[in-house]
Amino acid sequence: MHRTMEVVLDWRLHISVLIITIICEMIGVIAIPIGIGSILLLPLLYAFILGLVINPNVIKGAGVWIKDADVRAASPLIVIAIMPFIAKFGTIIGPSMQQIIDAGPALILQELGNLGTIVLAFPIAIIVLRMGRESIGACFSVAREPNIAIIADKYGLKSDEGTGVMGVYVIGTLFGTFIFAILASIFATTGIFSVEALAMACGIGSGSMMAACTGALASAVPTMEEQILALAGASNVLTYATGIYMGVFVALPITEKLYDWFGRKDQPLKAGE
Amino acid sequence: MNSSQTQMDPTAERKLSLAEHAMVLVIICVIGLVGNTVATENTVPQGLIGMAVLYAISMIGLLLTEMIPIKLPSVAWISLVGIIATLPWTPGSEWVIAQAKNVNFLTLATPCLAYAGIAIARREIELAKSSGWKIFIVAVLVMTGTFVGSAFVAQIFL
Repeated sequence: MHRTMEVVLDWRLHISVLIITIICEMIGVIAIPIGIGSILLLPLLYAFILGLVINPNVIKGAGVWIKDADVRAASPLIVIAIMPFIAKFGTIIGPSMQQIIDAGPALILQELGNLGTIVLAFPIAIIVLRMGRESIGACFSVAREPNIAIIADKYGLKSDEGTGVMGVYVIGTLFGTFIFAILASIFATTGIFSVEALAMACGIGSGSMMAACTGALASAVPTMEEQILALAGASNVLTYATGIYMGVFVALPITEKLYDWFGRKDQPLKAGE
Repeated sequence: MNSSQTQMDPTAERKLSLAEHAMVLVIICVIGLVGNTVATENTVPQGLIGMAVLYAISMIGLLLTEMIPIKLPSVAWISLVGIIATLPWTPGSEWVIAQAKNVNFLTLATPCLAYAGIAIARREIELAKSSGWKIFIVAVLVMTGTFVGSAFVAQIFL
């Protein structure tokens, strides 16, 4: 209980987050035009950067304000801080239920599109980068917490597969929101996919990545905001509900089989070499 | 699983109790309310009721996570509560929708990402450095793959 009260009463931490939130919301959304459209910078992206800037693990001098204890206290707060956001998404999905049912088949089947991680990343990892078994952990999913649990359970996190899933997890944690904001911005303006399809693709199974993705999409196509949020939210709930089963029964077995067929038979290099 | 492995596993985080969640959520909602007041034209009383509604939905979701023995993450239960509370045939859903409309969705994600930035641990930075450029390329492809893959399949069936 002692440690918990530390988390709750860590005023230094909460005040920092409050100030960061105020600064970021005052700046608002900024659109940077690039050739094929524009990249949208969102308050949540600045918030992450400002959080890093006052993190003593990133900037040494920040240690005068934020201590190691504050850093540890911040970690369990991430998942709680996303809860009102997730609740808000629920209240957007409910009223749009008819529309979501109409899009039902596409919505359910696009969950299979998450296997795109294997289609796109696995061949490059194996053929171009000549990676070993860490490519299995790295490519079978988008490497959020439930997927780490699957690999930890099956191989342990110290295995090559564990190194792979943790590597992608960390890169996703550090750069995921930026990558999804950029992906959504670019695809929203190129017109290859319909806005509805892109909205469904934003249901990634990670609250902050969905926030970045839908934020960019909704800012690019403001007239369709309600529809975007409803479809993305519904897709995200589906991923939350099916993600772990999809990983265990479909994605991981497929990736393993592909590795058996095409993977390296010699002693592979480690990812860091 | 040995201790160093547990330490590395972000899913092995210690669990807070329901009462502790309730307290932390109040702080989060206050920060969200301030952010909402800065970001939107909505007044503080409007935002306050909106946040209170979202707080209630989150708490009911957390309660269900503890009570129902189906293994789903708490965010899945919170989504479901939010959905059921606002279905057209749920009594009072009009009111819930009207209150929640006064809170901007994107603003609610801002405090979360601030905590996430502050929470980055030394070992995560070291891990990112030691994983090297190959993992970085693979990670970018993984994220692009899930996005484009889902959009592609959705486009076919829409």
